[in-house]
Amino acid sequence: MAAQPKQLPLEHSNYLTSEPGIYSWLTTVDHKRVAILYGIASLVFMLIGGIEAMAIRTQLAVPNNTFLSANVYNQMFTMHGTTMIFMVVMPLELGFFANFLIPLQIGARDVAFPRINALSFWVFLFGALFMNFGWLSLALPDAGWFGYANLTERYFSPGMNIDLWNIGLLILGISTLLSGLNFFVTIVNMRAPGMTFMRMPMFMWAMLVTTILILLAFPCLTVGLIFLFLDRFVGTHFYLVELGATPILWQHLFWLFGHPEVYIMALPAFGMMSEILPVFSRKPLFGYAGMAYSMVLIGFLSYGVWGHHMFATGMGPVADSTFAITTMLIAIPTGIKIFSWVATVWGGSLRMKVAFYFGVAAVLEFTLGGLSGVMHASVPIDLQQTDTYFVVAHFHYVLFGGMMFAILGGFFYWWPKITGRMLSEDLGKLQFWLTIIGFNGTFFPMHFLGVWGMPRRIYTYAPGMGWDFWNAFETASAYLLFITFAIFGYNLIWSLFYGPKAEADPWDGRTLEWATPSPPPAYNFEHIPQARGRDAFWVDKYGVMVEGHGHRSMPAHGETSGAGVAAVAEHHDIAGHGTPHMPAPSLYPLLFALGLVVGGIGAMMNWIRIDVLAALLLFFSIIGMAFEYPDHGEEHPHQDPSTYTGVDHRKAGMWAFLGSECVFFACLISVYMVYKPRNVGVGAEVLNIPLTSFSTFILLMSSFLMVLALAATQRGDQKWSTIWLSGTAFFGLIFLGGQYYEFSTLFLHDHLSMQGSIFGQTFYTLVGTHGTHVAIGVIWLIVMAVASATGRAGKSRALSVEIVGLYWHFVDVVWILIFTLIYLMRSVHNA
Amino acid sequence: MSENVAAAGHEHFAAGEHASGHPGPGLYAIIAVALVILTLMELAVYYVSFLQPLLVPILILLAIAKFLLVGGFYMHLYYDQKIFSIFFVFPLILACFIGAALLMIFSALEGRLSF
Repeated sequence: MAAQPKQLPLEHSNYLTSEPGIYSWLTTVDHKRVAILYGIASLVFMLIGGIEAMAIRTQLAVPNNTFLSANVYNQMFTMHGTTMIFMVVMPLELGFFANFLIPLQIGARDVAFPRINALSFWVFLFGALFMNFGWLSLALPDAGWFGYANLTERYFSPGMNIDLWNIGLLILGISTLLSGLNFFVTIVNMRAPGMTFMRMPMFMWAMLVTTILILLAFPCLTVGLIFLFLDRFVGTHFYLVELGATPILWQHLFWLFGHPEVYIMALPAFGMMSEILPVFSRKPLFGYAGMAYSMVLIGFLSYGVWGHHMFATGMGPVADSTFAITTMLIAIPTGIKIFSWVATVWGGSLRMKVAFYFGVAAVLEFTLGGLSGVMHASVPIDLQQTDTYFVVAHFHYVLFGGMMFAILGGFFYWWPKITGRMLSEDLGKLQFWLTIIGFNGTFFPMHFLGVWGMPRRIYTYAPGMGWDFWNAFETASAYLLFITFAIFGYNLIWSLFYGPKAEADPWDGRTLEWATPSPPPAYNFEHIPQARGRDAFWVDKYGVMVEGHGHRSMPAHGETSGAGVAAVAEHHDIAGHGTPHMPAPSLYPLLFALGLVVGGIGAMMNWIRIDVLAALLLFFSIIGMAFEYPDHGEEHPHQDPSTYTGVDHRKAGMWAFLGSECVFFACLISVYMVYKPRNVGVGAEVLNIPLTSFSTFILLMSSFLMVLALAATQRGDQKWSTIWLSGTAFFGLIFLGGQYYEFSTLFLHDHLSMQGSIFGQTFYTLVGTHGTHVAIGVIWLIVMAVASATGRAGKSRALSVEIVGLYWHFVDVVWILIFTLIYLMRSVHNA
Repeated sequence: MSENVAAAGHEHFAAGEHASGHPGPGLYAIIAVALVILTLMELAVYYVSFLQPLLVPILILLAIAKFLLVGGFYMHLYYDQKIFSIFFVFPLILACFIGAALLMIFSALEGRLSF
């Protein structure tokens, strides 16, 4: 498994045929192949999610229907939402399209961390299968995709339904975070020479903001899920009122993630629409800068609107007013985008292809969903519409009308590049028109049903409520919608076998992926291209944009500036190599993902031995990945000339990860501070200040030893590097020993347990989570010390020491805050 | 980098700084001493009774000072490319916003904060 990076010959085999056999797919780290794996898995889950939708609609077709029991109906709508969001829309947008397109659109040969990319996929696949495990005994999750507390507590849901959802989402979250980190570093660091931020394709802008949202929103969900896990498996009461806690806490943590999540799904779709519309309108994207800035603004504002999902919980007039205003504000950048799309198409030389149909439809349908969304900014109106079918209509117009239409448009637009085959335009147009009819027939009447008072999530209804006809109509339309996906599936399969072969640039595209053959070779670009302007490939083909009449336009098809595609061949390879070096395949990502899901099963079933096995598998996989390429070349500790920003991928990735960790610990600390005043009984007065002061000194001094280790490594002083690294690890062990003593004393002497008081559960969870971080750091340091002692972490690998140092210092700064806020301020009631 | 510049750079680093542009062990030691002093000050504030009314603001200021020292010098934010500061500071601001918002919402709900 200790394979070396491959040096690929410049032959014209494509990425699909370059490596034969199933094993090559199991071990692939090629972003395009990983994208294909994501695509296949997502389409299978789309079928499952569609069947769940059909089950829901069949049940609601007539009053008093007995097709599904109430229990199974709950499972169906829970899994439909969870499947479509986490296993279809997100993996299709991020795993399939973004994975395939990011390196191609920015002129790179792969993502920043190819093995982590493969890891993301396998973790996603196993996490999704884990959550669907309940199909075997029809014990699927059943508390809604939002999993509102306290429905999810063991007392109210004693089966494994919620365990599958809880642990499954934690696993899927790891996959998404890894993808977000990977794509973020890729876009920031791996752009081709000349591709400034303001020259990036709009899809890349969308993905840049999306990855930031992922990094900073998912930690909130992770914290919420950890609390739920502790409630269900350890007996804490984070969401139960018994000890003074409140179920509303879950809603805050969930929607702190949940509303950015809406934009995590929406922004990639916006990016796709922004790629498709200009190409088929034969005009540049209108208002590029405005579009880019509005993406950033949407991302920024998305963190300030979570409360509009909670107006009905009674947050108080100030909070309600604040969230109402921010919700109205976020409509402004969204409106800018809609205006820009319309202006892009306006006056264009339109080519009526299926991709364009879906792109235009996405704008229209999303606008309808956006309009009903803005209505929810008004608290009195929202209170009337909450939990009615009006909301179901709204979010389906956003998620299906906006996102799924864009995804379908993306399939028709990029399928030729991905597979080398064209989809049938005739079948596509049939699918499109039936989709329009089926989609609007299914979801538009829901607006009326909602206003007429039909609640969502009810498994049946009595006749004579005035809902009968429209429910039957919606069900018939839903079946039509299901058929359109059957047509789509047939088109995909037909295309693979009988579709006309695609040219490299079948749509006369603007962005760099169209400069490669269809399908592209494994190394993407023979020479790394240079972006000479916005719409880099267009500029290469036709030269600069034609200016005139107050706006820029593109030359007609076939009319070139003379520069032609040959201009691409002039570009230099920034690495200066004649043949591309590509990362070698690796089995470790698959093994790691396997370890993760085995650990999840062990945790759910309380099988300690299985958990130990999983931990060993995880450790083995991480170590294997870390030392898979022992001679991977000289690192660039300060300045890496091969990246766009000049900084090493791993260092950039570590900083982005630490940024994500900031939000993670902020949620933990916030919950501690929110719950502390509610505590009754044993509280912060039992904390041992002298002991933790000593621990604080130890941890601070460990940071000092860590920087000495780095300095020694950078000097090439192997002996002192090993000594200081070992010393840092030793100090970390002393800290952990102190924490073990503290916890033991608190538990045995002061009777402070996780189950007995609201203070105990928040304290142990926060400080214990920090301790877990310290333990991971100690293991990492020991590995680095051994590597240093055996000559594997010498001067040329100083960056590896610096990265573990960054992690260690971060753990230190988090402790600085914990020591102050939890220990030294223990007597402050409100803190 | 031309040979002359490279040679000059090497000479400069040999004089006491690191080839990476990071500070040397001397400055690291000074920071360590400062961190110890700041922690002792925190403990002093905690145990001295007449400082109790100012406990929260003083402790927060001291914690921020320690945070900045570790972040700026041990994590090299002060020396490294500014892009790393952006990667870290923006999430930090967002984290503070989330914490403040949650505290305010729950405090207002429980009547401990009125607008």
